[in-house]
Amino acid sequence: MKKALFGLYIVLTIALMFWGFYMAIYGAPLDAAQGEIFRIIFYHVPSFSVSFTSFAVSFLGSIAFLSFRRSHPDWAQISDAWALAGAEVGVVFCTVGLTTGPLWGRRAWGIWWTWDARLTTTLVLWLIYVSYLLLRRFAAGSQMQTLAAVLNIFGALDVPIVYMANRWWRTQHPAPVFGGAEGSGMDPSMLPAFFWNMGAWFAWGILIFALRIHVERRQQKIAAAEAQSALEAFN
Amino acid sequence: MDEKAILDHQFVIAAYTVTWVIQLGYLAFLAFKWRAQKRTAARNSINPR
Repeated sequence: MKKALFGLYIVLTIALMFWGFYMAIYGAPLDAAQGEIFRIIFYHVPSFSVSFTSFAVSFLGSIAFLSFRRSHPDWAQISDAWALAGAEVGVVFCTVGLTTGPLWGRRAWGIWWTWDARLTTTLVLWLIYVSYLLLRRFAAGSQMQTLAAVLNIFGALDVPIVYMANRWWRTQHPAPVFGGAEGSGMDPSMLPAFFWNMGAWFAWGILIFALRIHVERRQQKIAAAEAQSALEAFN
Repeated sequence: MDEKAILDHQFVIAAYTVTWVIQLGYLAFLAFKWRAQKRTAARNSINPR
């Protein structure tokens, strides 16, 4: 039953991705000012939305890990798996945002990159979470998870700064499309394409997040079983 | 189609392609990791479930 539901979810997600792509390319009209290049927004903005949500989940996972690590070691391991999965999925989506953005910028601004407040804080966020993943990959010892959790909590503090950057400082990056100043927003004819893609990318994000947690939980169980057998061999 | 429209179209295709390469690349990474775990578990006769 569980497998059938998961299979159904995969099929629905793939269908959503195809529909989202169709809507982005054929469903939305050309933007009056930007023309075709505007269609990048249908992948760029949802990618960052999923990325920030993943970092938020990772942040909560790290807090839960630090809270449970002494009282409930099993819960702490589950929380740690959530923290790692959230950070990794967040980095993947952030990488997508950081590559689609410059492709848009090259056509819209004539430059690939500028040290604008929104772009710089996003790059810093990406670097913090890449360092988190490197720490998890290469550090060893019992304190690794705790150190990673602390780094994760500090890294997550950059997320609201990234979100607010183009509200606090008006530099090169376009003003917020949603939740911005008066007159901001998207033409109603483009909203279906935008929201279908938002739904599709969230569905995809949940799918790879669930797979990553599954892989990490298996890894934890293998490591625990190996440690147990090593202990038995020693005794 | 003028030159600007063609270039815009190519950049959109590039952005969508890069997105899918990154996403499917990550999915492949997860699949390799999962397969490696299965091999390790079989070698050590561990049932991680």
